Amino acid sequence: MNVIEVKNLSKTFKVKIKEKGLKGSLKSIFKQKYKTIDAVKDISFEVEKGEIIAFIGPNGAGKSTTIKMLTGILYADEGSIEVLKINPTKERKRLAYEIGTVFGQKEQLWMHLTPYDNFKFFSAIYDIPEQVAEKRIEKLKILFELNDFIDTPVRNLSLGQRIRCEIVASLIHEPKVLFLDEPTIGLDPVVKENIRTLIKRMNKELKTTIFLTSHDVGDIEKLCKRVIIINHGRIVLDDSMENLKYHYLNKKIIEVKMKEKVNLDDEEGITILKDKGYNLKIEVDTQYKNVADVIKLLDPDKIIDINISNIPLENIISAIYKNEDK
Amino acid sequence: MRKYLYIFKSNLMTNLQYIGNITIGFITYFVVIFIFANLWKYIYSDQSKLINGYSMEQMIWYVILTEILWYATSGRKLCNKISDDVKSGNIAYNLNKPYNYIGYALFSHMGEAILRGFLYTIAGVVIGLFLLGPIENFDLIALPFIILSSILATVINVILVICIGLTSFWVEDSGPFYWIYSKLILVFGTMFPIEYFKGIIEVILKYSPVYVTTYGPAKLLVDFSYQSVINIFLAQLIYLFIAVLISLLIYRKGVRQINVNGG
Repeated sequence: MNVIEVKNLSKTFKVKIKEKGLKGSLKSIFKQKYKTIDAVKDISFEVEKGEIIAFIGPNGAGKSTTIKMLTGILYADEGSIEVLKINPTKERKRLAYEIGTVFGQKEQLWMHLTPYDNFKFFSAIYDIPEQVAEKRIEKLKILFELNDFIDTPVRNLSLGQRIRCEIVASLIHEPKVLFLDEPTIGLDPVVKENIRTLIKRMNKELKTTIFLTSHDVGDIEKLCKRVIIINHGRIVLDDSMENLKYHYLNKKIIEVKMKEKVNLDDEEGITILKDKGYNLKIEVDTQYKNVADVIKLLDPDKIIDINISNIPLENIISAIYKNEDK
Repeated sequence: MRKYLYIFKSNLMTNLQYIGNITIGFITYFVVIFIFANLWKYIYSDQSKLINGYSMEQMIWYVILTEILWYATSGRKLCNKISDDVKSGNIAYNLNKPYNYIGYALFSHMGEAILRGFLYTIAGVVIGLFLLGPIENFDLIALPFIILSSILATVINVILVICIGLTSFWVEDSGPFYWIYSKLILVFGTMFPIEYFKGIIEVILKYSPVYVTTYGPAKLLVDFSYQSVINIFLAQLIYLFIAVLISLLIYRKGVRQINVNGG
């Protein structure tokens, strides 16, 4: 069952432009010029119930604009959106009861209140009866391990603790879809890992569909089974993580320590990334040469140590972004 | 309604952490009252005389209450906040919450205004009793009417300031509009009762926000009558209705222009 259906969605912004210098400033008083930016151009996709989907792209690609249209913050110029069969533009308030949002760069908690008071506040906002709210707070407190700081004012919490509370606040009304816009921004690796584990646990236990945007490849790799890449307002890839990782670029990295020097120059499908005499790092394009052939070329008897790995996801994503830019 | 009461409560709880900051404002309040007390003592050289129907004590108590309402509303702060919300696009993040932004802004600010009003009332009563003693012929029966009228006055004032802040949807800076509004209230509303102005100005002031935001509650404090209660509450309810209507219209029209920065 689809919980999000987007068809031919487009959004343009009118941006004021001004000629440079004082002359430009004076001119703009009398005649204002605008240019139109196509933030989102004719995108279509669906998200199934219970999925954790990564919606990624470089800065200015149209990710946040899309999320804002999906959550009813911005109006679409063209196309249609249905989130849980609700049109976000026409029934924004009704949709608000069904979805949760966490914008990593925009806090929604009251900084001087404790997380507990904040959760009570959000319960009231979503018309949740007192007793039900208490039960949910207790459940989420355990799930997100908030016990140690649930009575500490938010302003005194660390960023990681605050983000956990932000997520809990957005889950208090048990939304069916949770939109996470860069939830791990600014967090250290340990806290990031912790947040990812909690998000995964939440998805498993509460069956919440998660729509995630992030610049952190770790978030995407560890949480998502499907990825949509958007660039210049268009969807450039909509595929499973498996396909993206193993088939999209068809490349492997081989790092070897040799007994003696080998020469792999001019071999089709092989790119030397590093050559330090006996230590080599090569990239193999498996469309032209398979890994076994490369090992044969190296001569297995002369190999002291070998490590074969996939191209880091970050490189794959960067390559897709760059490819699109060309 | 429960959600709006929670918004009110949450901001009240937040501001309870800043009681110290609020009380620092007492200094300027005391200075203002002290200046006006001396001014009126000078004007009323014969202290048993009435000017435009008000005795000297009534005039000073009038200023004590209107200044409480002025400090409680703290309009500049509210106007700047609304204006910043609009200009930064923060207002958009309220759109996908199940409440109305005007209601949110009103109840949130009232959480602060009620606390400030309460604290300034204590300060006002203390300084009033110290300078003048009890109000002559004051009947306790007037108290609930004065409190209710003061709350309504603040609510109306807050909504009007929200309207001014929302003009940021169209203008770069709503500050000048607020400056004009606040000076009108300050000059015509807090210093003198409407009866001090004659002719067309008196008529205009009777229909202006001054009548409902400052004059009304202060009039009930210094010159209580049931006729005044009816007139003032009726005017306040009409003003409240109109102010809510205007604020919703401005908001609905403005919100369509929202351009939030993407990422």
